[in-house]
This record gives sequence, C-alpha cells and structure tokens, in this order.
Amino acid sequence: MATIAAAIVADSPRRVTEEGPWVRGLLLAIALGFMALFLWLPVSLVFTEALRKGVGIYLAAITEPDALAAIRLTLLAATIAVPLNLIFGLAAAWVIARFDFPGKGLLVTLIDLPFAISPVIAGLIYVLMFGAQGWFGPWLAEHGIRIVFAVPGIVLATVFVTFPFIARELIPLMQAQGKDEEEAAILLGASGWQMFWRVTLPNIRWGLLYGVILCTARALGEFGAVSVVSGHIRGLTNTLPLHVEILYNEYNSVAAFACASLLTLLALVMLAAKTFVQWRIDHPGNRV
Amino acid sequence: MSIEIHSLWKRFGNFTALAGIDLEVPTGQLVALLGPSGCGKTTLLRIIAGLEIADSGSILFQGEDATRRHARERGVGFVFQHYALFQHMSVFENVAFGLRVMSRKIRPKEEAIRQRVFSLLEMVQLDWLAERYPSQLSGGQRQRIALARALAVQPKVLLLDEPFGALDTQVRKELRSWLRRLHDELHVTSVFVTHDQEEALEVADRIVVMNKGRIEQIGSPDEVYENPATPFVYQFLGNVNRFQGYAVQGWAEFGGVRQPVLEHGGDAAVEVLGYARPHEIDVKRDDEQGLLATVAHVRTLGPIVRVEMVFEGGRIQVELTRERYQADPLQVGETIRIRPRRLQVFSAEQAAEAVTGAEG
Repeated sequence: MATIAAAIVADSPRRVTEEGPWVRGLLLAIALGFMALFLWLPVSLVFTEALRKGVGIYLAAITEPDALAAIRLTLLAATIAVPLNLIFGLAAAWVIARFDFPGKGLLVTLIDLPFAISPVIAGLIYVLMFGAQGWFGPWLAEHGIRIVFAVPGIVLATVFVTFPFIARELIPLMQAQGKDEEEAAILLGASGWQMFWRVTLPNIRWGLLYGVILCTARALGEFGAVSVVSGHIRGLTNTLPLHVEILYNEYNSVAAFACASLLTLLALVMLAAKTFVQWRIDHPGNRV
Repeated sequence: MSIEIHSLWKRFGNFTALAGIDLEVPTGQLVALLGPSGCGKTTLLRIIAGLEIADSGSILFQGEDATRRHARERGVGFVFQHYALFQHMSVFENVAFGLRVMSRKIRPKEEAIRQRVFSLLEMVQLDWLAERYPSQLSGGQRQRIALARALAVQPKVLLLDEPFGALDTQVRKELRSWLRRLHDELHVTSVFVTHDQEEALEVADRIVVMNKGRIEQIGSPDEVYENPATPFVYQFLGNVNRFQGYAVQGWAEFGGVRQPVLEHGGDAAVEVLGYARPHEIDVKRDDEQGLLATVAHVRTLGPIVRVEMVFEGGRIQVELTRERYQADPLQVGETIRIRPRRLQVFSAEQAAEAVTGAEG
C-alpha cells in the first residue's frame, strides 16, 4: 500500500481534477467544432446571404416601409414590455427576498411559468381571453377596443414571455445580500424612498441591468407568442421576426436575410452589453 | 438615556425567543447581553432597536413609552456583526449617510457635514481612509467605520450586535479595550450582545446573562463571576468542576470535604452538586483530608499550568500558577489529595436544568 501511494504521489504533479493533454485537446475540439457548425456558420451565413446582391439591395430591403414599420413595432413592444417587467421584477424580487408569507414558494414557481410553457400557448391564452370568441371578446368589441391582431396583443404577449428575466436575476442577488444594509439605512434615519434610492438600488444595479438586457434581447426576438396574436398584417402588426418569416415564405431571401441580419446585430449588441455587465458583477472592486 | 424593558415576549412560530424579559439599563452604562446562541440576546437587541416587534411587553426610553415607535425615530445607533457598510459608498459617504438623509430643515451644511465626518473618522483613527471603499478595508477597520457611522447622528443609545464576532482574536482584543476607552469618553448608554464571556467580563459595566429566552442573572462582572446565581451562569462564565455530594442539617459534604450551606437545614439528606473553578482547588501531597485523585495530564498554558486529574467522581481540572507548579511539579500517574477552597452548592434539580440549557 505504502509503495503504491508513494508512486501515485510521485507520478501526479498535476491536480487531481486535471486530465491528460489528449483529453483536453479532444474536449476543446468537440466544443469548438460544435460551435463552428451550429453557431458561427449560420450567423456568418445570415450576413453573406443578406449582402449577396450588394449593399444597395440590402439597404433597400431594410428601409422599405413595411420593414421600417416592423422595426418600429418591435422596438415599441420592447420599450413597453421592458419597463413593465422592470417594475414587476423589482417588486416581486423585493417581496420574495425580504418577506416571508404563505404561498411564497408558489409565487416563485409561477414566475418561472413563461420559461416552462411553449410561447405558442402564451399567445393562445391571449386569443382565448381577448379574441372575438374569447371571455372578454364581446365586451371589447362593444367598446371598439382591439387587442388581439393589434398592437396591444403583441405588447401583452411580449410582456408575458419576458417577465421572468428581471425577477429571476434579482431574487438570488437580493437574498444573498440580506437586509442588513437596508436596516442600517433606516436606523440612520432614512425614509423608505431614501433607503431604496440610496442603498437598495445601487446594490442591485448591475444585476438589474443584466436582467434588463436579457429581457430586452428576448423581447426583440420573440416569435412564437407574438405570431399567434399578431395576425400578420403587413405594416401594422408585423414585428421584425414575423417580417423575416413572411419575406422568406415569399422566396425573397435577400430581404429576409437583410432583416434577419438586423436582428442578429441587435442580439450581438445585447451580448456585448451582457458581457460587460457580467464583468462588472464579477469585478465589483473596479470603479469607473 | 435610560432604557427600561417590561415583561417582553417574542415567539417565532413554535420557538420562544424571549420569555418575559425585565431589564433596566441606566443612563451612560455599558451593558453586555451574554448567552449561548439561540438564547434570545440578539432578538432582544433588535427589539430595542425597533427592527423586530415584540409580541407583548413594553420598552421605555428615558421613561417614555417607545414600544410602538418606528426604528427611524428611536434615535439608536446600531452596529451589525457583519458591519453592514454601504458597499457602493466611500468611507466618507458611509459616515455622512445619517446626516445626508436628514430633512432639509435640520440637515447640516455641506461644510458642517465634512467637519463632523472627519472628526468622527479621527476619533476612530481612520481619517486617512476617507476615500476608500468598504471592500478595501480590513475587518477591524470596517467595524470602526460602522461605529463612526452609527455615532454620526448622535444617538442616545448605542446597540452593538456581536460587534467583534467576525474578527480575528488579536484584532478582537484590541477593539475590545478600544471600545471600553471610547465609552468612557462618550458615555452613551450602550448595550452589546456577545457569546464570549471574556469579552463581556472585560468590557461591560454590567452583564446580563441570558438562557433560553430568560435572564439568568444581572450583575457586575465581578458579581456574576464570583457569585453565579445559577449553575448555568457558573458553567457559562468559565471552566468549572462539579462534585457530587449530599446536604443534611445545614452542612454539605463532598467525600470528606465539608462546608456549611444556607439551605438544606432538614434531617433528610438531599443530593447536591458543588461547583468550583479550576483555580479554586488546592493540590496537596501530604494531606489526611480531601479527595484522592490521580494526575492524568499536565499542560502549560503561558502563565498557568492546567492539570487534569481523575477521581472517583469523574474528571477534574485544576489550574496552578506557573511558579506554584514549578516549586513542586506533579508527575503523571501520581496520586494526590485535592481540596476545593470554596464550593458553590446547588441542588441536583437546578444543575440538571443548567445542563439542558447549555445545549439549547
């Protein structure tokens, strides 16, 4: 036994969790190969396809009226959905992290619901509630309010599918930070608002921003739920992802890829912002 | 400002954290709440601060009922075990916080805030750290900043929750005596929570020993150490040796060692336990009286020598001064006589209670 132990010690200068060089090489090759095949290739294809017939055609495709309307609608839906989810996320995270109440576990589970169910079902819920045959359909028709197959429906569907992002990001953060600093602020004479603006919010700002970025990225790219409630009326209820689909189905692949490249660019910007915020969270000592 | 607490009760679900606490803290005193974890001392402190609400009972500040007063309006300074400094603010802004959140009418001018913050930072000897952030400070520095921050709003009462609990032994000892000196200068009525008996004995004017949501004893450090009211207090404030014996007709007897007692005057023998501290026991070779014991272990701990012995009642620990020991060293295995100079006598039931208490 003693000789075996000595031999192992002498033969293994590297840490126990480290594998041999060929294992490392193989793992790296699998990871990189997989990424090249499923990530880099498609993304670069989007841009090459979009620019296949030249920059002029590309620009024309993204500046024609229907495309511009789709861009506007996508941005509008995100501009409404993200602040709403910001307020909801903050309130939910605060309640869950700071208070104990019956049904807390259920609330936490329910927040994850949009992650769990298919976006198509999320869209259908709104059709069933606000559509012509839905629960509120007759009442809405009487008052001349349109929700489904109109902008409000798109906004509602976007809010639904994106609402877990900010709350999910904040709950563990606020739970980990505890309430000591907030109690200290109150004992020093701060009002509830002063505590929130001067202590709570600065402490969670990077986590909050991270949640906002994830939420925005999803709001811009959402397809399934929005597709169900949209009605696909060009220039009116088409968001950018829906517009891409329509163009593609019409065999207008250059225009489709041109619009897709816009979405891809937005996604890349969000990714860069996310990386920066993540870096700030991991390096809290570095102050700008 | 004095603090008065009357029959305070607090339950968390099935757990009774405080079971009828009555306590008075006179103006200007430094009082320690001492007890094992889960004894309710932190809950009591948080109720005084207004961070928790008692189920029943009342709290008076300077004779005025403050039971329903909001934490913001109590005028207490609070120091947390884990400092609770505002991470995103500089040391200066941390200390200035209480002044900055004052309503515009009473808020000092910027220059006055600056002066006050710097005088506080000088008091805690850290004015050179004003621009740093909490994450760049050591634990001891953080706790001193937390204290400066609490004092910035000139609190009438200072409450400290295990203020040195998260620090190294060396830093803890320094801060302890520093806190005592600071209190002698400021004379702010202060209550601090600790589970460290040495800390309580060294720093406090008065010690409140708590166990299972009740107060076991209140007294000066000397009183609680010299005359523990209950076996629990005896055990909690240092090492203790227990001797089994019986009491009859006003005398307690422990295997040849006799001592008069106030209780147990009757003719029927009652089982009792005698408590003695390790330094209250004499060791002799040529004694006719006393208990026979065998030396099992000898260990030198700086200025004292700790000797472990075995006798028919179990194990016993004796502490001798280094000089006394070196004059006549003991051999392991040697049989000698021991005799407690003084025994505190408790009935067997009292002692049984204390044992369950120490576990809880």
